[in-house]
Amino acid sequence: MKIIKKLLTNPTSLTGILLLFAFMVIAIGAPWIAPPPENARDPYMIPRDGFSTTPELPNDVHPLGTTEGQYDIFYGVIWGTRTAFRIGVVITIFTAIIGLTIGSFSAYYGGWLDEVLMRVTEIFQAFPFLLAAITLSSVLQTIYGRGEAGPLMFLAKLLALVTFGSNPTENVDPIQLQILTGMLAIITFGWMTYARVIRGNILVVREKEYALAARTIGAGDMRILLRHLLPNAIYPVLVIASMNTGSYVLAFAALSFLGLGAQRGYADWGQMINFARNWIPSLADHWHIVAYPGLAIVLFVLAWNLVGDVLRDTLDPRMRGKGV
Amino acid sequence: MTTYIIRRILILPVIVLGVTMLIFAMLSLLTPYERASLYVQDVPKRQGAIEGIIEKYGLDDPIHIQYYYWMMGQRDPDTGKVQGGILRGDLGFSKTGASSVAEVIGRRLPATAELAVWAAVPMIGIGIALGVLSAVHHNKLVDQVLRVFSIVGWSIPTFVFGLVVLMFFYAKLGWFPPGRLSNWASQIVQSGAFTRYTQVNTLDALLNLRLDIFWDALKHLILPVTTLAYLNWAYLLRVTRSSMLDTLRQDYMTTARSKGLTESMVVWRHGLVNALIPIITIGGLVLIGLLNGVVITETIFNYPGMGSFLAQAALSLDVVSVLGITFFSSVVLVAGNLLVDVLYGFADPRIRLK
Repeated sequence: MKIIKKLLTNPTSLTGILLLFAFMVIAIGAPWIAPPPENARDPYMIPRDGFSTTPELPNDVHPLGTTEGQYDIFYGVIWGTRTAFRIGVVITIFTAIIGLTIGSFSAYYGGWLDEVLMRVTEIFQAFPFLLAAITLSSVLQTIYGRGEAGPLMFLAKLLALVTFGSNPTENVDPIQLQILTGMLAIITFGWMTYARVIRGNILVVREKEYALAARTIGAGDMRILLRHLLPNAIYPVLVIASMNTGSYVLAFAALSFLGLGAQRGYADWGQMINFARNWIPSLADHWHIVAYPGLAIVLFVLAWNLVGDVLRDTLDPRMRGKGV
Repeated sequence: MTTYIIRRILILPVIVLGVTMLIFAMLSLLTPYERASLYVQDVPKRQGAIEGIIEKYGLDDPIHIQYYYWMMGQRDPDTGKVQGGILRGDLGFSKTGASSVAEVIGRRLPATAELAVWAAVPMIGIGIALGVLSAVHHNKLVDQVLRVFSIVGWSIPTFVFGLVVLMFFYAKLGWFPPGRLSNWASQIVQSGAFTRYTQVNTLDALLNLRLDIFWDALKHLILPVTTLAYLNWAYLLRVTRSSMLDTLRQDYMTTARSKGLTESMVVWRHGLVNALIPIITIGGLVLIGLLNGVVITETIFNYPGMGSFLAQAALSLDVVSVLGITFFSSVVLVAGNLLVDVLYGFADPRIRLK
């Protein structure tokens, strides 16, 4: 309760929360704010108004103008909010679960398991994150491009179920599959901070008297870990989760911008800015193709970072002012 | 100190080995057919040729044998030449670069290094200076403004920042063009009259005493350098600030003041020097920032380095090139981290004198 009160009274976090709230309203209200055309097969594909290559400045029909290929920017920015929430939240959930599992096992059992898991973590950290994500998504796109149902298809279906609510018994929609490859790549190389932080915290609480007390009354390993240790060690994970949601959205936007994330025409902010690459010499006239989707990304990521910044100061006074 | 360094050096091969395993794991997700392209420069037109290659290079062999071949290379039964083997520096053939991946890296690395070094100087300098400023004026207006600046900076994607500066300084004002050199300069650089000592344009221009070319190269560097540096300022600022705040609270700072030193002397000589020690530890993160940053920055500014090549190769799903460059970057990062650890050991007497 104290945390929530602090978050709501601090002007920094309040700004963040209000921004997030506004984005949430936009995401939920998307079908009313920017109704998809009647015959649309997938509302996430931005409707086109003709096929002319030259972007159009904001006008009566297109309040924020159009990109190259006449994709409506207003529609894309509105529906892109949903995409951003989905991507940020789902990646955060998966990375946190992986990191929590590895970190808590590593700390709780210690010994050779700890040694092995921590070396594995270090190996994953030996890659520059974005390069690793680019690499893995290009490998995954090759594999999924074959359309064969291998063991990796199971992962894609699981992720599709969580992200898009797709039916796992059906084939994954190819448009969604391309987004899932980018998400999988980010998840694979995005869990290490959680593992290290939770490991450090469990190492501390493991020595506490209540852990010993639980053991003496005969509680099993899993019970001690899940009921006694994790709840006492999990707060910093909230901070990292909030800070990371922003950076995952940035990473995915970067993949999309490079053409490895969402498909052309999908309501995704990074993908929309990708169009601007062809108009660099005339950006002064076509400023709107960068400005609006760009502003959306910046505000969205900023909102998460503002909340995370205050959360960090509130939850852990030792971390106050430290850049983690 | 020596044991500390030796321990760090001993762990290095373990990490690099792990990196190769992870890269190989990604590679072995592909079918033997797809991997056959590691060994061929062109898809053979003859029927059954691919099967021949798979057979010849054992791409259907058990995974540990393949891993060994991939690491150490393998003797071609026909020519007797050893082929492949990333430990021998053979990273495969790059379709996008139409030459071996190692050659592509050799060709593109100087441009990327030039960009990264030029970016590192203002990045570290300004980042640390702003951090000190923020700490000295703790909780005052300057601190608050810089705090907002760093959170906002953290939230701007590289590509948005890059496109916005291009919008103003290139599209609108025409001051700083994208690319690496103007056409006229590029012609001179490639002509016989200009000696390419290092392939680093700014350095070569100075060595050839061509200030006009130096200026042209610099003009092309300003925007990408700003983009790369801006995104890391925020981070350096925060770390410096918190390290400096810790230092300013120490007793020796009070001692320094009480013996009558000027405030600037106290802050810069006694404070920053001690605060720098923890800052060294984020050197690795700065390197990650640069390695990640060049991919996007080079792509936006049409700058012919390793990063833009990686982006281009990834887009055409040229897995061999992508894996090769990522492997190379990881090795650079691991080496950089080792350097940071050693520097830290030297800088901190508590470790040095152990």
